[in-house]
Amino acid sequence: MFEHADSEIIERVIRQLRKPVAMDSGFDARVMREIAADTEVSRPRLRLGRWPWLAAAALFAALLIAHPWSQRADVRPDYQFVLVAPNAASVALVGDFNDWNPARSPMRATRAGIWATVVPLAPGRYHYAFLVNGVEWRRDPAAPAALDDDFGSPSSVVTVVGKGS
Amino acid sequence: MGIRKVEVSDAELVRRVRGGDIAAYGALVARYRDRLGRYAVHMIGDREDAEEALQDAFVRAYRSLARCDDPGRFGAWLYGILVNRCRTVGARASRRRRLFVRNTESAPDASADADLVDRLGWDDAVNRALARLAPENREAFLLKHVEDLEYEEIARVTGAGISALKMRVKRAREQLQRFLKEAEHV
Repeated sequence: MFEHADSEIIERVIRQLRKPVAMDSGFDARVMREIAADTEVSRPRLRLGRWPWLAAAALFAALLIAHPWSQRADVRPDYQFVLVAPNAASVALVGDFNDWNPARSPMRATRAGIWATVVPLAPGRYHYAFLVNGVEWRRDPAAPAALDDDFGSPSSVVTVVGKGS
Repeated sequence: MGIRKVEVSDAELVRRVRGGDIAAYGALVARYRDRLGRYAVHMIGDREDAEEALQDAFVRAYRSLARCDDPGRFGAWLYGILVNRCRTVGARASRRRRLFVRNTESAPDASADADLVDRLGWDDAVNRALARLAPENREAFLLKHVEDLEYEEIARVTGAGISALKMRVKRAREQLQRFLKEAEHV
């Protein structure tokens, strides 16, 4: 009898907790704004508009300020990632640094079964993984596993030490 | 037979987003917003923090959509991300609350309140009882009984074993009953 009463309490709790909880009316807009900003950053587009010479002048000025031809301390050094996967048909490097987009860092088989690619990395801590044959996620056996990963697939961590890390 | 609304599947929407159609992601946000929001609000206990966790989960999911192995199960994958965000935001909120309680002598003690259910009403009493559960027990209880996920799904989402999850749900049920009875009869 007590068990029945206990069960009734829980059923009542569950009924209450299942009631809809509406989010703030501006929620969707905030999410989509953040995503749109993200997309703009990851896909920069140069729009010449009606005055192409103005855009060209702006570009020239930007080059003068940035002078990318000179050696600068903040140039991101290259890091080589290597995976031994003798039976793989394709391997891509995916991580925080390339928006987990396999198309941005495909790896090349340098010798039989040894896949490698090079990416420039600024100082910081990055999660990454290898996408084998387009479907299989593998963490890097030569690097620490990511313990705080949110996405349920295996990944590794690389920490690039340097100015600003 | 008239006009019937045909709902686009999660898999199709994910495919469109991957193809560059951001608006399709808006449809996914609208589809999952309230259900996941309910979980976040109950799990964290504070609406503002819950919205932050939910927004963060949606943005992280978008950025990592390439890692969604089975687009047809986008919802379950998104739950996994939200569960982790709630753990992070919830732990931070909990530290903040502890600091606040330590700094104020007048913090209420739920177990010492007489006739809490009468005074606050059933809804508030339930929320207080829920907040007193250990986070891992509250998480398992909400996913099982409120969000109606199967244990196998909860295990994938939380990373915990099924027998541990069953134990957590059992403990949560027992403690909720005890807390609510205390609130009703003390």
